[in-house]
This record gives sequence, C-alpha cells and structure tokens, in this order.
Amino acid sequence: MKLLTHNMLTSHVKGVTKGYPLLIKATEVKVNQLDFNPQFVSRMIPKLEWGALVQAAGDLGYRQDLPGELVVDYEQNEEFLKKVHRVLLEVEVMEGSLKCPESGREFPITKGIPNMLLNEDEA
Amino acid sequence: MTWLHGLWAEDPPVMAEDFPLSSVRFPSMEPEEGCALRCVCGPDSGQETRCWSIGPLLRFPPPNTKGNSRAQNCSGNMMRSSSSLQTIIMSSDGDKQPAEETSESVNASSAPSPETELTVTIGATVPTGFEHTAAEEVKEKIGVDARVSRDRGRIYFPVSTDKLFQVHRLRSVDNLFVVVKEYDQYHFKESKEETLMELQELASKLPWTNALEVWRLNRTLKKKKGHRKGGHSTRAKPDSEVCDTAEQQQQEPAQEQSGDAPDTESQPPETAAEEKLVKFRVTCNRAGDKHSFSSNEAARDFGGAVQEFFQWKADMTKFDVEVLLNIHNEEMVVGIALTEESLHRRNISHFGPTTLRSTLCYGMLRLCKLQASDIILDPMCGTGAIPLEGAIEFNSSFYVAGDNNDMAVSRTLNNICHMQKRRAEKGSSPGLPVDTVQWDLCRLPVRTGSVDVIITDMPFGKRMGSRKKNWDLYPSCLREMARVCRPGSGKAVLLTQDKKCFSKAISRMGGLWKKLHTVWVNVGGLHAGVYLLKRTAGVFGQTPEDVHESPARVYKQTDEKEDD
Repeated sequence: MKLLTHNMLTSHVKGVTKGYPLLIKATEVKVNQLDFNPQFVSRMIPKLEWGALVQAAGDLGYRQDLPGELVVDYEQNEEFLKKVHRVLLEVEVMEGSLKCPESGREFPITKGIPNMLLNEDEA
Repeated sequence: MTWLHGLWAEDPPVMAEDFPLSSVRFPSMEPEEGCALRCVCGPDSGQETRCWSIGPLLRFPPPNTKGNSRAQNCSGNMMRSSSSLQTIIMSSDGDKQPAEETSESVNASSAPSPETELTVTIGATVPTGFEHTAAEEVKEKIGVDARVSRDRGRIYFPVSTDKLFQVHRLRSVDNLFVVVKEYDQYHFKESKEETLMELQELASKLPWTNALEVWRLNRTLKKKKGHRKGGHSTRAKPDSEVCDTAEQQQQEPAQEQSGDAPDTESQPPETAAEEKLVKFRVTCNRAGDKHSFSSNEAARDFGGAVQEFFQWKADMTKFDVEVLLNIHNEEMVVGIALTEESLHRRNISHFGPTTLRSTLCYGMLRLCKLQASDIILDPMCGTGAIPLEGAIEFNSSFYVAGDNNDMAVSRTLNNICHMQKRRAEKGSSPGLPVDTVQWDLCRLPVRTGSVDVIITDMPFGKRMGSRKKNWDLYPSCLREMARVCRPGSGKAVLLTQDKKCFSKAISRMGGLWKKLHTVWVNVGGLHAGVYLLKRTAGVFGQTPEDVHESPARVYKQTDEKEDD
C-alpha cells in the first residue's frame, strides 16, 4: 500500500463520522523505485490531505523533514517534489494494519493489500 | 450442422492458475471467447469446458482438468454448445511432419534492394467498436490517417518500411498484417466451382513482393528485439516489446525452432539459409450471405495455388508465413500476418474467468482522455487488466484496483508483480503507479469526491453475477461511484452487457451522472456497451433523487424474466 492510496482511504464502519485518517501500524515497509514525474507530483499535491500524508510518512519513519504546512511555490522546487514523490509512491507498507481512529477497528494489510471488507454487523 | 475440426497443438501446455490449458488450432473460425465447448469424440467425449482465449490457438481448460496427457497426438472435434448453434466447417487434417525439401527462394520476382523504402498498407484488427480510438492512436504514434473498414473491427493505414517497428507499439490493435491486395468490389462468380477456380488463378497474379519484403523485415525486427538486451532471452521466442507474456513462451516458435533458421545469434537480415524451407498456411475469414463457398474451401483452394506458385510447404501448426484471406461481402483483402498470436493478452499472466483483452482496456482508457495526476479507480478489477494497462500505457496517472473477491485480489497482485519483474529484467524501474485494495464496491472505503475517473468492467450476469443481482447491484454501485467521484470534473467509463438494467439505473440518477457517449463492443461474443459518463456538479446527498425518494423503494420490481 502506497501512501497516496492511504491518503484516500477512510473507515466506513457503521456510525463512524471521523474515520479519517486511518492510523498505520506497519510491520514491514519496502521502498520501490518508480520513475519521477514532477508534473504528476505537483498536480497531485492539491488533491491530497497534506496533514494526513505528513503524519503517515512520519509514522513510518520517512518524513524526510517535510513541512507540516505546504510552502508556496512548491511547483518549482524539484528537491521538495522528489521528497514528496518518494513518500507518495515509493514507500510501501507490505504488512501491518490500518486502524479506524474512532472505532478502533483494525483492517489488516497483507502483501501490500489492505483488506477493508467489513463484517455483516459492522456495515 | 457441421463441426469444427481442430488439431491439438503440439506445444507444451500453457499454465493458468494450477492447471494446464489445452490448445487447439482451428484453421478458420469466428473467435468467441467464453463460449462453451464440448468434446464430441475421443476419450474426452461428452465433456464440457469453456474457451478462455482465442486467436490462432483456441485455449481452454481440458475437460479432464487434472491432466493434459491426451493433448499430444489426438485431434479433437469440438462443437460450440451455446443455444444458438452456428454451422462451422470441417477442415482438412494438416497434422503431419513436413518432409525436408529445398524450395525456391521466396523472391519469386525481383525484390527491391534493402535500402529502398517501401510504403505498404498495414491492416490491424481491433476490438469492434474501438476502430476510431485505434485510428486516433495510429495518428498519434505513427502520424498517418487510418481508414476504418466496412468489415467491423479492422483499420488500414500506410506505413513506410523505416517506420515499421512503430506498429508494434500500438496498444489498441489485436493483430497486424500487411496487405498484399485489396478489392473493394470483388465480383464473385455465381457458382462455387468458378469462384474457387478464380481464387486459385489469383494466387499467381497477386503483387506478393512488397508484402513479403515487409514480412521478412518484420521478422528481423522481432529477432533483433529479442537479443537487444545482451542475450537475456532464455526463452525460445524473441522478446518482442509488445508480445511477450509468460503465456506466449510456448507459442509455435515459428522463427527459431522450426529447424530452418539455423541459429539464434543476430544475423544480417537476408540470408539464403532462411529462405530454404518456408512453411505457410492460409487463414480465411468470410462473412456475407451471397457467397457460394465456405471459408475453408476458399482457404484450401487458394492455399493450394499459393503452394504451387511458391513451392512452399503447407503446415497448419508450425508455419513461417500466414496468408490471410479476408472476405466481407464484396470486400476482399489478401494479407500476410505480422503478429503470431493476438496481442490482446499481453499484460496478463494470471487469467481469471472474465479477463478483458488488454486492447479493449486500452480503448476504454483512451476514451476518458486521462490527464496527468488523475486518480483512477477500478472498483471491480477482477484480474486487474484495466488498471495494469493504464499503469503501463498512461503512467502519469495513479490507479487503485479493488475487488471483494479473494482470488481476484490475489490474481491482480500476481499480474502486477509479474509485470514489475519483467520491467526490472529489461532494466526499467519496476515501480508502477498502481495499488490494490480489497473492498466492497457498494461501501467504498474512499473519501468522498477524491477520485477523478472510475473505469471498470461491470458484472455481465452471464459469466459472473446474475441478471437479478444486477437489478440491485447497479443502482447501489452507481451511487457509491458517484459519491467518490469528483463533482463537476469526474468521469466514469463502464463496460456492461446488461444494457437494459444499466440504462434504467442511469436514467434515475440524472442528478449525479450524465451520459456522454456509448461505444458498442463485442466481448466474447456478447454485445456490450461501454458507457462514458460525466459526474455532474451536484453534491452527493443533495441531488433531487436523494431529496425526494429513497433509492431502495424505486427498485422494488417483480423479478425480471431470466433470459438465456
């Protein structure tokens, strides 16, 4: 699971109103090389929940001194974009779980795939 | 009622999951993926199975799925056992070992020198309905205008020999061939005898030279590709950029193993040794009511004349040259194949029961006019064919593939890993912009309005799901997709065969979805629609259908009659 995906995932357990962001508990993390595309990164940033991304990156130990708030003119800052690229697309959680911040329900991650299926009673 | 006479291919069996697929070659037939097959003779007589992939080789799990031991030397007669039985014609049994014999060089007449650039017409078969998308891709990548044939699923365009390698970069084409001659209005004679005689006479009069030159050039292109990465190819067949999938390793290795090409090192393109023993076959596709002959009769007689003329050896399974005879009403095209097996399965090594052709996936992706950094969801990804094609071909976007089914998720993961390994082997960075999640598509664990494009193959109700289930499934998943899709700019491209159910569901969601365009396609013999939808600017939960009535009540129906 890449952190870009994590940025979009929320808990949808019945009754939960604050199911985002999911807390990551990782037991295995891998870094995969993926071609850097600056345009992709700079256009993706406005679609992200920046705070959640930085938090997740920090939890995994890959914060790389990314700022808590977005700086202006990041589009031209290639060094910054490369750091974001790494954290969004190259760092992958292979084993672990995602925890709903409100209900505490844990969704397991196996071989990089989060299982978000709910049981009958939770839907 | 007549029968298809197929020949068990002698290749080692292809693996799918954990059982081997049998391969049968039919000299000429209308392809039908997913069609049911029944063995009508031999030890497996009476057993049923289902076709998994088509092309020169029809593949299916052998009725006795534990083993493939009988595939070696028997010929199986197969009949399509759907409710609408078609007549299919017996072909001659070509399962013989060719005798070693010298034959004349392929240059029957003077050939242009290798330096001269030729311009030839290339024909391509594409998924029906996506002819214009394919023409767009040709314009974009080769820079020429393509013509869409009246014979659906075919486009034609001119290419000069120096640009030939570019045709192998096309992602929307299933098969490629070079045109020998085209007849727009061929006047077939009244009687079968006269028509077939005329076809035979035609063989020696056609302008073969340029087409054969292109065929030869194409072969060397493929060989060069195989050895470009410094002898990495441990496979028998050269690694063509577009053609290699694990499945194709055991394809009839027409070029390297047929005993006539002497070695596998890079060689200068034209050597006399290569021309010594050319093996060929003729494949005929015929459509139209006014013909007095069958496709097999045409193939047989035309093929006989070709053999006479060139002194080639006819071989149905291990051929070098495949001559194509395409007849559609009064249109007739003679061509030579440039692709050995349909390119449509290129990305997938782990098949599922309803895996979509990569060429169809590509067509659907092109429809959405993807932009950089678009976030694309396939909430019913199956084996991941669509997201994978997207991650490779439109790689400045990001794909999330999801399914609720364990096997689907596992296959998607395997297909992605397999692709990454191949990329690593070729020296590119392995990472692909795609992730997989296991989820329930009616309860997507995704933030509202965070997705730009949804593109998926919806359950057809025949091979997966059921008509009754679709009545409930379509509205709920369309709503959930509307929720996660970005209002105003979001899009959806949805493939479905259940057009009635889908249209009805969409018509009740005018506040959320607007139909922009529909492409009618043929998927495994079933007529399906690819619907391009636009997400309205309406905020989810506040559109008229939510304010006035609950969707659940709207869909209380008496059971729809289950057809077929």
